[in-house]
Amino acid sequence: MRDARGRKSVDKIVETTGLAHAGVMRAAMSLGESGLVKSHKRKRTKIHLNNEGKGYATNGLPERRLIKALIKLGGEAPIDTVTKEASLDKELSLIALGWSTRKGWVRIEGEPPRTKLLREPSEEPDEKLLSLMNREESLILEELEKELQEAFSLLKRRKIIEIDEETLRELELTEEGWKLIETGLRVVEEISQLTPELIVTGRWRETNIRRYNIRAPVARVWPGKKHPYLMFLDEVKEKLVAFGFKEMTGPIVELSFFNCDNLYMPQDHPAREIHDMYFIKAPTHGDLSSYKHILNNVKETHESGWKTGSKGWGYKFSTREAERLVLRSQTTPVSVRTLLSKELEIPGKYFSIARCYRPDVVDKTHLTEFNQLEGIVVGEDLALRELLGILEKFALDMAEADEIRFNPGYFPFTEPSVELHAYKEGYGWIEFGGSGIFRPEVTLPLGINVPVLAWGLGVERLFMMRAGIDDIRYLFTQDLDWLRRRGMI
Amino acid sequence: MPTIEIDFEDLESLLGVDLPRDSEKLNGMLSYVKGEVKLLEDNELHIELQDTNRPDLWCAEGVARALKGFLNIEKGLKNYRVAGTSGVEVQVDPKLKEIRPYIACSVVKGIQISDTLIREIMRLQDKLDETYGRHRKRTSIGLYEFDLITPPLHYSVAEPRKVRFTPLEFEDELTLEEILDKHPKGIEYGHIVRPYPVWPILMDSKNNVLSFPPIINSNDLGRLTENTKNVLIEVTGTEYDTVLNALTIITLSLVDRGGSIYSSDIHYPYEGIKETRTPRLKTETLKIAMKEIKTVLGMDLKPQEIKDLLKRARFGVPDIHETEVTVEVPRYRVDVMHPVDVIEDIAIAYDLNRVSPRWPQLSTIGGTSPEGRLCKVIREVMVGLGFQEVLTFTMSNLDSLFAKMNIKGETVVEVANPKILSMTCLRNWLLPSLIEFLSKNTHVEYPQRIFEVGYCIISDEDAENKTRDVEKLASITIHSNANFTEMKSLLDGVLLNLGIQYKLEETEHESFIDGRVGKIVINNEEAGIIGEVHPKVLENWKLENPAAAFEISIERLREATRPRIS
Repeated sequence: MRDARGRKSVDKIVETTGLAHAGVMRAAMSLGESGLVKSHKRKRTKIHLNNEGKGYATNGLPERRLIKALIKLGGEAPIDTVTKEASLDKELSLIALGWSTRKGWVRIEGEPPRTKLLREPSEEPDEKLLSLMNREESLILEELEKELQEAFSLLKRRKIIEIDEETLRELELTEEGWKLIETGLRVVEEISQLTPELIVTGRWRETNIRRYNIRAPVARVWPGKKHPYLMFLDEVKEKLVAFGFKEMTGPIVELSFFNCDNLYMPQDHPAREIHDMYFIKAPTHGDLSSYKHILNNVKETHESGWKTGSKGWGYKFSTREAERLVLRSQTTPVSVRTLLSKELEIPGKYFSIARCYRPDVVDKTHLTEFNQLEGIVVGEDLALRELLGILEKFALDMAEADEIRFNPGYFPFTEPSVELHAYKEGYGWIEFGGSGIFRPEVTLPLGINVPVLAWGLGVERLFMMRAGIDDIRYLFTQDLDWLRRRGMI
Repeated sequence: MPTIEIDFEDLESLLGVDLPRDSEKLNGMLSYVKGEVKLLEDNELHIELQDTNRPDLWCAEGVARALKGFLNIEKGLKNYRVAGTSGVEVQVDPKLKEIRPYIACSVVKGIQISDTLIREIMRLQDKLDETYGRHRKRTSIGLYEFDLITPPLHYSVAEPRKVRFTPLEFEDELTLEEILDKHPKGIEYGHIVRPYPVWPILMDSKNNVLSFPPIINSNDLGRLTENTKNVLIEVTGTEYDTVLNALTIITLSLVDRGGSIYSSDIHYPYEGIKETRTPRLKTETLKIAMKEIKTVLGMDLKPQEIKDLLKRARFGVPDIHETEVTVEVPRYRVDVMHPVDVIEDIAIAYDLNRVSPRWPQLSTIGGTSPEGRLCKVIREVMVGLGFQEVLTFTMSNLDSLFAKMNIKGETVVEVANPKILSMTCLRNWLLPSLIEFLSKNTHVEYPQRIFEVGYCIISDEDAENKTRDVEKLASITIHSNANFTEMKSLLDGVLLNLGIQYKLEETEHESFIDGRVGKIVINNEEAGIIGEVHPKVLENWKLENPAAAFEISIERLREATRPRIS
């Protein structure tokens, strides 16, 4: 820059220094940021002849060829004769006649029309430019003399010139830049990336690590994350474990026996119809042979109360109906299976988060497939007070409710049954869970002679409240962007 | 849950008190009957009742009857008496035994029938038929202008084309068969009788048709008007007790409007049926040990208190002492099957919010399932590798599971009554769920890397439920440079962290590119599959980037890690 007296185009700098173009640009940018160099943009128009133009340059302009022929013919001749003499085809003849009259070289008169020479022109600027362009591969329009620039617009009209516009970058030393040059430059290698080699050789001491614009935007990264709803369920599990609950599991495809009959739902109960439960296409029925004893107890309980002290439903129980396979429509069959299990501990507390299925139309508040959280507490001396105690604890510890209220509730398999309503500032009253003491018609046929408290919590609603969403479909969202952008807390 | 539609002012007049016109306040009161206001507009009051087993509450009279007790307006057993016999005798044809064997009748005389009342009765009748009567299959009710009928009645059978009468809302006589084809009720309920060669018919002694149970009444006899004073009620059905219960409930609701009850006699040709005089109003007596009450409630209540609470719940209490209470249960309380049903009412009358909650004093040790623990570790590792966890449905469809995955159909667990086309069966592999997920996110920034630990359901002839739930881990990466190698390093990373040795064996699988797919083998057992997704599959799901995936059985991983994580 100093040698060029402070101003030079980037291309020229590349040429003289042998540096890469990108390197020069980067240097210009960093010098610019330090206020040592200013950068200017200049437009540059490159022009060259197209094929037609090259033809004109070689053979002369058509009007020049016409003039030459006319002179040869004595300065006056019929049009056909002169164009023939000049060997111009029909198209070129028209061009030649047009331009030679426009330039005032020739006049056309008489009938049939004849051409008459007015003056013999010397080489004109457009012809100069033409031959110049024919010699050079391309010319820079801005660098031409004024006369030739005017000739350019003439030739441009004749559509024989191709134009390429490009932006030329020029750098200029600022006052500060000059000052720095005067006080003397110390050349230190500047690097953008520290490398193992620089560290090992110690050469980093001789380098300058380039300053970054730390405010510049960077590419986004998306960390791997757990699903927010599953994360919430993990948290709920943790709490329940801390309260002394053991996790229990059960199958998705269930026998009606567990999904309904063991829960004292009569076999013609409306909730057992196709609107409320998914049935399996094939095989339609399962195998109850390993539950013969229990099956008989349940059958007698439904029909006449068996030894439970109940009147029973008073209808004819069908074993075939009990064998019918369904998709689990509630979590309670998991509790029933636990009560039947050899591993049941009394006293014991159990919970399960299980996928349940109901043929509902999916909308803002309904899913056809969803998770339910349910559990049981088994032991001597458990009564309504303990039932309310469990609900109270969940409401205060999990929903962090400000106030709670118990309402009488109804489940076919519990009596008494209680609904839990919780009040939370900003949300109002919400129904948060249900519970009850299993009916003797449920426990006794299973061989359980102590009270069993059953409870269920609306985890979906609780999560939605926490996550600030009002559409239950987001629990199973297929929106990756939403999952990525959701905060972890 | 049944929702009943009643008249607000009518309920007020039945109760004899003014009610707050405010849903919140009404709910506080209705919680005694497990009810909640669904709509309150002018005089329209819709109440959702939770208890599906309390048909006595499905009308304004029933709700008023129960609330009067809890609100201390009228307590104890309400005495319903039969004023006399109506003279209606019903002869039952033995041919009905397999079709619709039971009938019960009553006559309610001297009621002022208004428009509102007719509407109320129709709503109750409808609710009882639909819910308690299981869409008329179990019971169905008919109401008639008593003064137009000439007893005795014949409940017998008729051939579909032999008998004709004018059904309700029609002007012309139709045969029974024509009714099934043409009348809206015939179309709706015809399936109940169609399987039989002869169909039930109820006629009086002049051979006038009262009704064609359970389809439709006669337009001449079976229609109540504002001039009706005396009503004949009839219930037919397939279960002796439910028929009697339905009759009790609808009869009492008319009696609560000021009518008096007259009985009728049913003559059954079947063996072993004793009670033939209907309606059945006699209370049932239940003896409950005081200890049982204490056991269920966990509270020590004084006998006098229990007596008062029972009366507020409208039970009769003829006797109570330190060890036992005798409770008279009204006939309309068809839900009372066991002493616990009565004990719950004690608690409701006492007010659940007055009971002091107590956390169960049981010492138990909590814990998550062993299955869950391994899954948790796996999820941690996957997240650490930069994968986003997703949660998808286990229900899917054959097209997504097989055709779109470029493989032949396999046996899966299908549901008999799918609700939507995209959910007709349970998935037997997990990868289609993830690919479907990706197909919904083609506009979202790549690379995309997702995983799920989820259940797949496999048919299993030997299992009691004919299926097995198999937990799997599936994971997929999709971006312009995704390939087998990337996924193999990830699989390596996961299994290495679980301390599991594995081998890859070449295999063929049409969902993946030939030569870039392998069976994952752990302890000489096939555990899963890994490969670069076949472009046909990508095309089927409209994905424009290469993808590579693996799917592996958690069960196999569990076996391989058993000594360490369990």
